Amino acid sequence: MTSQLDALQTIFTEFYYWTTVVLMFLIHVGFCMYEVGASRYKHHQHTLMKNTMLIPLVTVTWFLFGWWIYWAFPTGPGLAPSIMTESTGLVLGGGFGGNDLANPTNELMAVTLNDHIMGVFWAAFLLFSWTAASIVSGAVIERITTFAFGILAIAIGSVFWSIDASWGWHFDGWMLKLLGYHDAYASGVIHAVAGGFALGVLVVLGPRIGKFSSSGEPRNIGPRNPWLVTVGLFLIYTGFWGFYAACNVPIYDLGPEYGMEGVTFFTATNIYLTPTTLSGITMNFLMSLSGGLLAGYVISKGDPFWTYSSGLAGIICASAGNDLYHPIQSLIIGMIGVVIAYKMHYWVERKFKIDDAVGAVAVHGYAGFAGLVICGFVLNGYPSSGYGVGEMWDGSTYAAINPLGMFVGAIVMFFVLGMIPGWIIAKVLNGMGKLRIPREVELAGLDYQIMEEAKEDEKTVASSSS
Amino acid sequence: MATVNNWIDHLTAASKADGVAGKIYPGAGSEGILVIILVIIWIGWTVISSRQESDKLEKLARRRPSSNAWKSNITDG
Repeated sequence: MTSQLDALQTIFTEFYYWTTVVLMFLIHVGFCMYEVGASRYKHHQHTLMKNTMLIPLVTVTWFLFGWWIYWAFPTGPGLAPSIMTESTGLVLGGGFGGNDLANPTNELMAVTLNDHIMGVFWAAFLLFSWTAASIVSGAVIERITTFAFGILAIAIGSVFWSIDASWGWHFDGWMLKLLGYHDAYASGVIHAVAGGFALGVLVVLGPRIGKFSSSGEPRNIGPRNPWLVTVGLFLIYTGFWGFYAACNVPIYDLGPEYGMEGVTFFTATNIYLTPTTLSGITMNFLMSLSGGLLAGYVISKGDPFWTYSSGLAGIICASAGNDLYHPIQSLIIGMIGVVIAYKMHYWVERKFKIDDAVGAVAVHGYAGFAGLVICGFVLNGYPSSGYGVGEMWDGSTYAAINPLGMFVGAIVMFFVLGMIPGWIIAKVLNGMGKLRIPREVELAGLDYQIMEEAKEDEKTVASSSS
Repeated sequence: MATVNNWIDHLTAASKADGVAGKIYPGAGSEGILVIILVIIWIGWTVISSRQESDKLEKLARRRPSSNAWKSNITDG
């Protein structure tokens, strides 16, 4: 960097993403606290360990291939030509948007004086990956093996979310071009896909022992530590601020980017490089959170667990279009999402005997799915990309946002890249006898041995006279 | 192993030929080997931890503690 202004823009962008990464770490802290609060005493430490170990597993695989997948698959492959290569094949070349820059052997994936952005951008996406895996983690507590969860975490965190982001959360993604897909803050690409994946796993994994009576009636296994659940969810809200900021490009000159000669227009953009403002999305974040809390309080009759979760569901439902909605639209959409998620949770639980221990499928999956569909109606007619005309795109124009395209997009996210892969991988793990812990251990508690050892240690210390 | 021995020389070369002197980590050029090592660490960890977990679960399952036995293990800190 030789120009002071260029340097300032670059270093600002670097610091901006770094800050979002630190904030987003709180999402994981929140998920860990929430899960421990929701689990029973005899499973606490295992529950925490399971969610903790997804951090290194997803990080390593995100470095090896997850990030590479994101940059390689925007064309499908075979579904729509790239605006960079004009080919429908995998994007394998170098340069901006080409996936050579995400090759783990590339110098950009290390400390290099030629680049200040790759590492923090990689990390921001990685934190999204942890979130996707952590969503699944909550649903399967108290009966899954750590090994199986590790495999599933890598699958959703470093493969399927990466593919869906490449398809629908990338300025060159085929879903924008063919479907008019729009999902600015990841109702679908994080939440619907992870919720769907969790549902697929739950179908195979089965309920916790005692969750359903012999006649099939569900029993409530409520949170054991409501305060941990509360603080955990509030931390997730806090981390979500970072998530929203990380979904934006903080400063970008769209004039030359769109091929508009002589036009300079600096703005923040979403991931599709269409304009929005950090200021506006802040209002929408708070209004959709409020809508979720209001609706959750009423529909659950003041149940704390559901009310706090509903705040999250409200944000998730409005997220697809929160770059453009009016704040009051965000609030209403958040409320609608909560009603759908709550009703769907209990209907699926009774009808299919699905034990979603923390309501993850509801809060993330159903609310995310609903958010995509609603976005198709409310933003009907908006361009899905600024690249519809200009030098970078010589095919047909990008499809505009529309209800049918968004509905198909929701199906792709929840079922095609979420539920079906989750079900298949869980089936394979189950076939290997590696999915579920033995019945005796589930009854005794996953922490039985640790607790027994701690008791013996305490006895030894207590009986010591020196 | 050192990629940089003198910052003044390094940055002067970098400013004259932008883009050729970016790598400053030790062992520049050995990225492929480092990636292979990471794959081995990842797979190795998975195999070892899976065996450890299976052994632990099998041992506990054989003991068959009752569903309330854990309560006698609660410590008072």
